[in-house]
Amino acid sequence: MGSLAIFAGGFGSGKSEVAINFAIDRASTSQKVVLADLDLVNPFFASRDAREKLISKNIRLLAPSGELAFGDVPNLPTEIIALMKQDNDMLIDLAGDEVGSLVIGYLSKLVKERGNYQFYLVINPYRPFAGELESIKELKQLLEKVGLIKFTGIISNPNMVEETNLELVLRGHQRVVEFAAGLALPVKYLTVEESIYNCLPYEYRNIAKKITLYLRPSWLQGSGGGM
Amino acid sequence: MNKVLMKGNEALAEGAILAGCWGFFGYPITPSSEIAEYMARKLPKIGGIFVQAESELAAINMVYGGASTGERVMTASSGPGLSLKQEGISFIAEAELPCLIVNVSRGGPGLGGIQPSQGDYFQATRGGGHGDYHTMVLAPASTQEMMDFAILGYDLADRYRIPVIIMAEGTLGNLMEPVIVRDEVTSFTEKPWAISGCQGRKPNIINTLHMTADVLEERNRHLFNKYKEIEMNEKRAETFMVEDADIVVVAFGLLARVIKRSVIDARKNGVKAGLIRPITLWPFPDEHIKAVTETCKVLLSMEISMGQMIQDIRLAAEGRVPVEFYGRIGFLPNPEELTRGIIDVAERKGL
Repeated sequence: MGSLAIFAGGFGSGKSEVAINFAIDRASTSQKVVLADLDLVNPFFASRDAREKLISKNIRLLAPSGELAFGDVPNLPTEIIALMKQDNDMLIDLAGDEVGSLVIGYLSKLVKERGNYQFYLVINPYRPFAGELESIKELKQLLEKVGLIKFTGIISNPNMVEETNLELVLRGHQRVVEFAAGLALPVKYLTVEESIYNCLPYEYRNIAKKITLYLRPSWLQGSGGGM
Repeated sequence: MNKVLMKGNEALAEGAILAGCWGFFGYPITPSSEIAEYMARKLPKIGGIFVQAESELAAINMVYGGASTGERVMTASSGPGLSLKQEGISFIAEAELPCLIVNVSRGGPGLGGIQPSQGDYFQATRGGGHGDYHTMVLAPASTQEMMDFAILGYDLADRYRIPVIIMAEGTLGNLMEPVIVRDEVTSFTEKPWAISGCQGRKPNIINTLHMTADVLEERNRHLFNKYKEIEMNEKRAETFMVEDADIVVVAFGLLARVIKRSVIDARKNGVKAGLIRPITLWPFPDEHIKAVTETCKVLLSMEISMGQMIQDIRLAAEGRVPVEFYGRIGFLPNPEELTRGIIDVAERKGL
């Protein structure tokens, strides 16, 4: 069996962008990468929007397709069961909060059978309800309760999209490190865009991972939030 | 300065709370549901009320009841839900009850789809329900404005005793941007009309049934005097590079923000373009339109619909310049496509 990485977290924590980047990275050494977009809650800004990019990297995208690609019905792609039992490198992008992680509860037996999995809690401390340990703790417990598997690590994803800078990343990451201690989970990665990655202090290099934002509309750059 | 990364829907909900919203009554529908979810999570913790009503009809009538007490209350939905709420909105308009009504719009008619849309423009600006009335309509273009207009909306609603609709495309409701969290609102308009317990005064009565013709006519005249005052004071629009523009695009909401880029790109291609973004859809900022007809050669309405606001633009232009249209359905076009649309019209008009 190949690898399995599952990305969960609060709404808007950056799961989809992170999952797309991890999939593309994995595809540089594996010919059998499957990205399962199991966000059945909200079709706006889902990882299936990066379909062409993923296909160009020889990644199999498993997602609601055709007329259901922009639906909000709980449409779980049926091939997920068979693919879970096959030898491949799979990444699963879940929807936010506990409603999103219900799906992994349904698949939890297959996840355990497969073994060798990573279940990541993606945290952006600049999101509402993600700024203090208490609500993060509550979220973690809920996600594990409905997901029926335990988290193996945290992905620290501190950002303010276009307004992200190094100071903000380091300050946010520090908070995630504190949350991690409170949750007794290791921080496995710190995800940052290339411009930030290049100026990260050396001590972060072992966990830092460069990501590109694929779901962000390019016209947002400099379009002025207040117009 | 406290900045948080928020979705438009979350920013709107937080803005309402900062403005003192005490009650949310709604029925979830994509792409507006995050507003209800945010309120469900926060309101009960701060002494407010969240009710997921059994239907949209129930929800809007709870808003009627809540607003009657003088508290700041709201509901949020999308097109199909707003259609169901129209009867209640007509009652609220006649009862002059201040409240916030949010439409995070999706494509219609019918069930349509959950893609972004501006096709509820007529519904929002023409009253929507039965009888002679208006609601004020605000159209935000950013996540920050989702928060700011919730605060502004309550202020306008209270000052004019009018329901205020905030209308945003589904994409804006779901778009994440950094938001400066505003200060809590601390000063409020007095509401001597509210049903708040009549100790020491005569009972207040809120009623929309008028049995005699003269009372009915007087009520309508009263409402329209108020609307005239709103039209005089509250028209809002933002203009961008219109001073020397040959072609002025008129667009609202998030779409207007995409077009800002297209205006710049069109100018790089030798087409002198500009943009007017109506912020209040009712009252419609017709003076802004009228002013540019002195200098521009053509107006171009760009909408995510088959063309609704174009009627208001034509009324404002009074035939001084031609008004062209470019519309798409079901998605937010990218700046390249919109630039092409502007240049095409310019070429056709020989600009």
